[in-house]
Amino acid sequence: MTTQLTRAAAPVKSSGRKSGRARGAQSADVGRPGFAWAVPATIFFVLFAILPLLAVAALSFMSWGGIGDPEWVGLDNWNRVFDDPVMIKSIWLTLLLTVLGVVLQTPLSILIGVWAAGTQRNRAVISAVYFVPLLLSSTAVSVLWRALLDPNFGIPSEATWLFGDGNLFGKQTTAIGVLAFVSTWQFTPLHSLIYQGAARAIPQVLYQAAEIDGAGRVRQFFHITLPQLRNSIITSMILMVVGGLTTFETVLILTQGGPGTDTTISAYYMYQKAFKSFDFGAGAVIALLLVVAATIISLIVVRLSGYDKMRSTMEGVS
Amino acid sequence: MRTRTRFSRMLVGGVTLGMALSLSACGDDGGSGSSDGKIHVLVYGDATNKVEKAVVAEFNKTSKVKAVLDTIPGATYQQKLQTIINTPQAPDVFYNWGAGSIQPFVKAGLLMPLDDFIKDDPKLKSAFLPSVFNAAQVDGKSYGVPMRGTQPVLLFSNDKVLKDAGTKAPKTWDELIDSVKKLKKSGVTPIALGGGDQWPTLMWFEYLYDRIAGPDLLEKAVGGDKDAWASEDSKKALNKLKELVDTGAFGTNYDSVKYTDGGSPALVARGKAGYELMGSWYYSQQQENAKEFAEKDLGYNSFPTIDGGKGDPANVVGNTNNYYSVMKKTKHPEAVAKFLKLMYSDKFIKQQLAIGNLPTTTNTEKFLDTAADPKYARYQFDLVKKAPSFQLSWDQAYPQSASEQMHQAVQQFFNGSLDVDGFIKAMQALPTA
Repeated sequence: MTTQLTRAAAPVKSSGRKSGRARGAQSADVGRPGFAWAVPATIFFVLFAILPLLAVAALSFMSWGGIGDPEWVGLDNWNRVFDDPVMIKSIWLTLLLTVLGVVLQTPLSILIGVWAAGTQRNRAVISAVYFVPLLLSSTAVSVLWRALLDPNFGIPSEATWLFGDGNLFGKQTTAIGVLAFVSTWQFTPLHSLIYQGAARAIPQVLYQAAEIDGAGRVRQFFHITLPQLRNSIITSMILMVVGGLTTFETVLILTQGGPGTDTTISAYYMYQKAFKSFDFGAGAVIALLLVVAATIISLIVVRLSGYDKMRSTMEGVS
Repeated sequence: MRTRTRFSRMLVGGVTLGMALSLSACGDDGGSGSSDGKIHVLVYGDATNKVEKAVVAEFNKTSKVKAVLDTIPGATYQQKLQTIINTPQAPDVFYNWGAGSIQPFVKAGLLMPLDDFIKDDPKLKSAFLPSVFNAAQVDGKSYGVPMRGTQPVLLFSNDKVLKDAGTKAPKTWDELIDSVKKLKKSGVTPIALGGGDQWPTLMWFEYLYDRIAGPDLLEKAVGGDKDAWASEDSKKALNKLKELVDTGAFGTNYDSVKYTDGGSPALVARGKAGYELMGSWYYSQQQENAKEFAEKDLGYNSFPTIDGGKGDPANVVGNTNNYYSVMKKTKHPEAVAKFLKLMYSDKFIKQQLAIGNLPTTTNTEKFLDTAADPKYARYQFDLVKKAPSFQLSWDQAYPQSASEQMHQAVQQFFNGSLDVDGFIKAMQALPTA
């Protein structure tokens, strides 16, 4: 069992028919893909990611309004951005929304994912319905919720006991609440899907053994399922963090950064600076900060969690 | 390996900005512009293009230099214009909102002053209403010829709601306050406001400042005189506005309502609100959304007068018109001049009126009966014609780079997070020319 599992995890799959051939020959023909295989992707990546990134880095030291030639201004943009109270606020808002996303979505999607991995009646149908938000574009989702939450013609007008005057987008706390709720509604299905797959891969023998030892459902969940989902939790959290830091269209459509600047998160502020105020220098600074922040946070999560060592959770089985 | 893909995906996401920039920055060759014996006319893409297409076809019948109509659809017009205007793809003639929207281009030396054209053909100026024509002047030179319809801001009402509350459309500010109180008592939102869009809120500032301080204040402020915002008149206008907000005129949840998604017009159409301050396009909007209401109960009025105000009560604010401006580097200035002349031709005026636009030539009056709705067209035309001043919307009078901060300040003043002094400071911090 053990060998089979580790073999399956290896990147190169040998085709079953040819298994009679010598092992050495196989590594020569198929082997690890050479660099040539990566050329198209690399060219694409350099052209559309690395070069623009360098261009943005250069632009962050220039003043450019879209007309005329960019003018070198040294650290001026950087100083301006760091002295800008709206920018500082936007960083906190971004972090807040990211943390809210992780805190709300992780437990929900673990529960749903584990449930969806089971074999209950109607499970497949209900999960299929539940995954629908995943198929909708973020723009559609935001437009939909904006209409549903209209204070005069939407849900709040029917449920005044809960929403009061329905001024959800007019106050900071409720506006942030709406943003967190909508992204939870939208992204929990994706993470549930990750957990569903991972939960399915947990060998049944573990549960059988636990049952013999007299562990109930709750204990099984905390002592087998959760530890076995460890790597998936990390994957999902990295996705959430990076997604949270780059959230944009939800804010653009739902709140436009308002009321005032109360939901102006960094990514939206970058758009505002660059494409609405034509201050491309400041926009570039914010863009760079976002790239750096997302990279650092991802690295920290990977390092802390030991994910980089890629230990197989199957180890426990042998 | 997984992290690697996440990382690259994130990187790609993070630099979308960079892509857009580098693509636009290195856009050379491509060979449109004026090099091919044609003039390119760039306009905002929407239903009105019908008329513009007809004008171009008309022009091409007689001209040796052919005109080509290019359109940029929808809301991204200004952004895209800004990215192409200094490249070889730049058009010869382009649509704009006058004043602030072309000021950066004038400053960058990209636009041709039209004074020479006007010297050759004085009608290019004299055929248009002066209050409209002058809104496209920068530093005393003319840079635009009006090319669509004028859109003054009016106080619309649901007359049935007003009647039920025992009130009627106000002539003065005190009547408005009184009307608001009565409407409130009858259980409706007195004034619908799409605060979520921010620019509808701005319209209230525009009218109050115009009525109380007169049009000079904004002219000074846009010209760079920051003290204008701190003047007594400015404070007076803000306090009046605050008073209106505090009476509960707009209800409490206006920041969650939008005009653009049909929220605030529906409030008025369904009898849940009494008034809404909006551009003249509101009329056709309601006709489309709520035909029955629009035909029976939709009222339109000019903004109330304010006692002791310095502004003429006949002044209006709004979008004066759209304009054609001409690039300095066009290779066919004579052809462009000929094209611009069509903007005051009878045929063009009739075509505009037929689709509901209100052109701003002095002789538009003659053709008002051919308009889609003659009564409404005449009302607007008289209003604009008699107006000593037509204040262009602030967010268009100021350079584009100011609009975001301006909209935020306006919203924050209404919801109380900025007081009078805070608002004045925010306005003083706006970039002027």
